[in-house]
This record gives sequence, structure tokens and C-alpha cells, in this order.
Amino acid sequence: MMRTGMILGLALVAAPLDAQQTIAERLTGRVPAEIAALVQELGSAAAGRGLPVDPMIQKAIEGNAKAIPADRVASAIRGVFAQLDSAAAALRDAGVASPVDTVEIAAGGFAITAGLRGRDIAELARTGRPTSDVIVGLRVAGTLAAMGVPREETVRLVGTSLRAQHAPGELLALPGRVQSEMARGATPAQAAAGLARAAAAQSRHGPPPDRGRPPHPPAPPHP
Amino acid sequence: MTQHEFHPRVKQLLDGELTLADLPAELRAEGEEALRLLAAVDRSSVSVPAVTWRVMAAIERRRRRPALWWLAPAVAAAAAVVLLLGKPSTPPATVSATVVTVRFVLVAPGARQVSVAGTFNRWDPSATPLVRSGTADTWVATLALPPGEHQYAFVVDGARWVPDPAAPAVDDGFGRRNSVLTL
Repeated sequence: MMRTGMILGLALVAAPLDAQQTIAERLTGRVPAEIAALVQELGSAAAGRGLPVDPMIQKAIEGNAKAIPADRVASAIRGVFAQLDSAAAALRDAGVASPVDTVEIAAGGFAITAGLRGRDIAELARTGRPTSDVIVGLRVAGTLAAMGVPREETVRLVGTSLRAQHAPGELLALPGRVQSEMARGATPAQAAAGLARAAAAQSRHGPPPDRGRPPHPPAPPHP
Repeated sequence: MTQHEFHPRVKQLLDGELTLADLPAELRAEGEEALRLLAAVDRSSVSVPAVTWRVMAAIERRRRRPALWWLAPAVAAAAAVVLLLGKPSTPPATVSATVVTVRFVLVAPGARQVSVAGTFNRWDPSATPLVRSGTADTWVATLALPPGEHQYAFVVDGARWVPDPAAPAVDDGFGRRNSVLTL
């Protein structure tokens, strides 16, 4: 017990140092020194608040690759930090187990980048689904928002699908299904609303008879 | 970019390797639908300075088993936990059993080189070049990506960052757009 406690204590002290070292290793030679220093600083703050660091490292590298001036890269990195912090706060408000999973926070940060708000994140997290499903739901919600589906319809569709206990594969199929409806002339809002109604009806009446069938029947054997 | 699970023969049709007439009768309706969707994508062209790029991307999702050596770091980590704590209090982290094969296609008339850069290759424009395929203006790359949310853009002639107008996009924080791929 005592040995376990000592190891955990050492791990808690070592974790920020490891994070700092990892940040330095990942950014050396890839970004200007002032950007690396900023990410180090924000990375320490992020580690202390239980936020993921990778999205900020990615934004720094992206900005350098795109030849963006350092001041604008710094501003974008601070924006990423703020979005992650908002996502984490929303997930805590939703009563998600503490500490909040950093992958879930990153998924929430992406959803906020795409146009959702903190209360949308919280609503999806309150569906009572396992963390892994909520993570997929948040990513899909962000994708739908990026496709132009309004916030309300996005949250309704993904929330209904989560509550209907749709499998992650079914959640991931939602953007493609919305795209198909849009190709037939529906607006993003109409497409999402129609799918949300179908999901709600399905959760009331059970899955349609062909659910689970493979999209293509096996080919007959050659003679 | 489409996320439909088309029949492999229909994918060959989309690649220009087959014509509708080559498809068996039971696949022609699906082939026509695929072409119709692709045509809808093609109409969503955008203009970037002085050039109009018609960008299309088709996604091919195939579940593949990872090579066994992928498991080695996870096994080593689990062993380290066991050695340190004597007995693990929680099960070792699971390793994702799938990767998704994604095919990027860009039609870029006049381009000399095209690549794709994103979160999956540390935004390195030289890491993932597209190769010419079929017609001279069509560039293709196939990548195996882990499940998750990825952001990317095409890089034309090493300098021009072009989002995929056939895919959803988000603000990149620099006044431009990143395309989004959720697997």
C-alpha cells in the first residue's frame, strides 16, 4: 500500500515534467522558440487542469507549416486552450466522472471549434452513455455542425441517437446519411431533423426489420 | 468526400476503372447513385485565387487488423504496470483493433504536385504526396488512419493550402478552413 502510494506520488510530480519534456521534444525544430515557450507554458497550465496538450501542439505545428506569423499562431493556440477549458467545464457540469477523460475533452473542444456551445456538450454528455460513445457522439456532432447543420438540430440528432443506444458505427454513419439527404435536395437542418425523427421513432418501436443486414448480399458462387 | 460503403465494383466505377456497362445488373442502380452523388460533389466547386479547383474526395473504409507488432508497446506498458504495482488495479488499456483506409482524391488542373497535410502527419506537406491517377488532373493518396477526428488540407505546388470543399470544414484559427474527417 505504502509502495503504491509512493509510486503514485512520484508519478504526480513527474507527470508535468514528462509533459514538458514531451512538448519540447515534439516542438524542437518545428516552431519558433517563442511559440515553443508559449506551448510549454500553456501545457503546464493544461496539465494542471486536466486538459489535453496535444491539440495545442498540433495547432503550433500547423501554424508553422502554413507559414502563419507567430503572433497569430500564439492567438490560435490560446484559442484552443480556451475551447478545451470550456469543454472540460461543460463536461464537469454534466456530472461526468472526475477527472474528465482528456480524449473526451478534446472531442468536446473540436465540437466547440465547429460551432457548438458548452451547454450542447453538457447535454450530449448527460445522455448517460459510456464515455467512449459520448466521445464518438461529440466528434459526430462537430462534424455535423461543420456540414452546416444548425446547433439545435445537431444536438437533437446526436442526442436522440445516443439515447437510442445506437452503436458507434451508426453514429459515425450520421454525417454520410445527412449528406445523402442533402444530395436529394434537403437542407442540412431538414436532413438532420428527418433522421432525428427516425431515430426517435426507432427508439420507441424498435429497429426496422432490415437493421443489421449487410448492405450487399453475398454474391452467388460462380458455376 | 463521401462516407458511403459502396460495393468494391462500384468503387472501381468511381475510380474510372469500369463503366456502368461493366457492372452486373444488380449493381447498376448503386453505380448510378454513386455517380449521381459524385456529380453533386463536383458541382460544389470553389474558386481560389485565379484558379478554380474542382476537388472531389472519395473515402474507402475498410477495417483491417493491425500487425501484431503494434501490440508490443501496449504489452510492454502493461508488463511495466504489473512490475511496478505488483498487481494492476485496473485492466490494461485496450488497443484499438482497427484502422480505416481513406482515399483522398483531388482534381487539380495544372498542378505540378499535390500533397495532403493534417493532424495525421503533423501537418507536414512533404509527408504524404498524392500521385497522378487516371486522367492527368486527378491526384490520389490512400492512407490508413486511426479512428478519431482528423483535420487536413491539400497542399498544391508546395504552397497553396486548399481545403476540401467536398468535406465539412472548420475554422483553422488563422482565417482559413481545415477539412474534417471523422472516422
